[in-house]
Amino acid sequence: MITIELRGIWHRYPGISNWALKDISATFSSGKLILVSGHNGSGKTTLLKIAALLYRPWHGEIIVEGCNFWKMNEAEKIKIRRKITYVHEKPILLRGSVFENVAYSIRIRGVDRCDATEKAESIMEELELIKLSDKSAKELSAGQSQLVAIARALVADPELILLDEPFAHLDTRKSKLLSQALKVRRKNGVGIVFASHSRGKLPEDLEPDEVIVLEEGQIISKY
Amino acid sequence: MSQLLSEVLDVTFRTLYISGLATVLSILWSLPAAYLLSFRQRAGLLEAVVESLVGIPTTLLGLLLFMLFSSSGILGFLKLLYTPQAILIGQSILVTPILISTSYRVLREVVSPYFELALSLGASKIQAMAMILRESVAGIIASIIMSFSRAVGELGVAMMVGGNIKGFTRVLTTAIALGVTRGEFEAAIILGVILLALTISTAIAVKVLMRLMRS
Repeated sequence: MITIELRGIWHRYPGISNWALKDISATFSSGKLILVSGHNGSGKTTLLKIAALLYRPWHGEIIVEGCNFWKMNEAEKIKIRRKITYVHEKPILLRGSVFENVAYSIRIRGVDRCDATEKAESIMEELELIKLSDKSAKELSAGQSQLVAIARALVADPELILLDEPFAHLDTRKSKLLSQALKVRRKNGVGIVFASHSRGKLPEDLEPDEVIVLEEGQIISKY
Repeated sequence: MSQLLSEVLDVTFRTLYISGLATVLSILWSLPAAYLLSFRQRAGLLEAVVESLVGIPTTLLGLLLFMLFSSSGILGFLKLLYTPQAILIGQSILVTPILISTSYRVLREVVSPYFELALSLGASKIQAMAMILRESVAGIIASIIMSFSRAVGELGVAMMVGGNIKGFTRVLTTAIALGVTRGEFEAAIILGVILLALTISTAIAVKVLMRLMRS
């Protein structure tokens, strides 16, 4: 069970004077499904990357397991990061096959080749990617790439998964598959955070526990 | 004829050995420098300095090294002047800016998104670095080929600090220059063709190797 608490987060990008996030406080934890909603440029992606512990905020604290994450040592940071995964809206796939991409997350965790293969194949079966297993990742369509990136994130059994516009490139069939896979994880206590322009982009069977609405880097409502 | 052939082979192998080693030596500091540079948000000034050094005249570098290595120079006690080691050091310095500049351009595009991706998947910094290098390997190898070609084709450093001593520091470019000075154009052309073939075949060999690795 992991809880990431953002306290008074301010963030801006180097060379840009405008704040991308202004005084954001929010909590993301295992077992909860949260939707972060807002228009383009409202700060959704930045918020997700801060919550995924990828960006260090300019001001504010990120409390994980009772400690300020950015004051932890490198080994502790890796341990925490391995409980969380983030999938970008435009996923980046590695050179090599679909299988190599999916297995990457568990291989870097030191899982042996046999177990890694078994786990990767299982998640690829679940998301109907198994036929693409040997295909080069660079030859996939946008929707297939998105699913492969999500499979690569899910295979590591994260306690919290942050997905930026996960349904953006998926057709109805693939959306259903992903929705089903996420429902199973939610039931098993995995925390899920979506970033999306609107609630309508989410499948009906994935009802969020909380919705955070952003505008110009600020939370304008939470319900 | 057989003496000419043996001389040509001798010069060719020495060129390959010195320039190859100089490129490898330069990789040791150029790639880490390019990697570190690619993480900097504002690397404009450093980038400009490195890029301006890419075109440094080899005669100028040769002159500077000559002054350093000559008996009255700061490094004169090392007795490196007119040795293959002096050419090796000179060429490794010569190719440093081109290697940093070209590999930096490759890494700059890869570092930010892939470092972020690696962290998001739970990789350590070393695993992230391995991922970045793996993803940029084609571009980095191209940079290395360019650097090797620059080293093989340079004349100023080899002539000034190598001295073009037969059987010791004579390389392809200095041998061609000597051939032209003596009016031995036939030999100079043969050596020129070898020089050209060497750079082209290196590039092709690496490309084939990379294709094999990928498949």
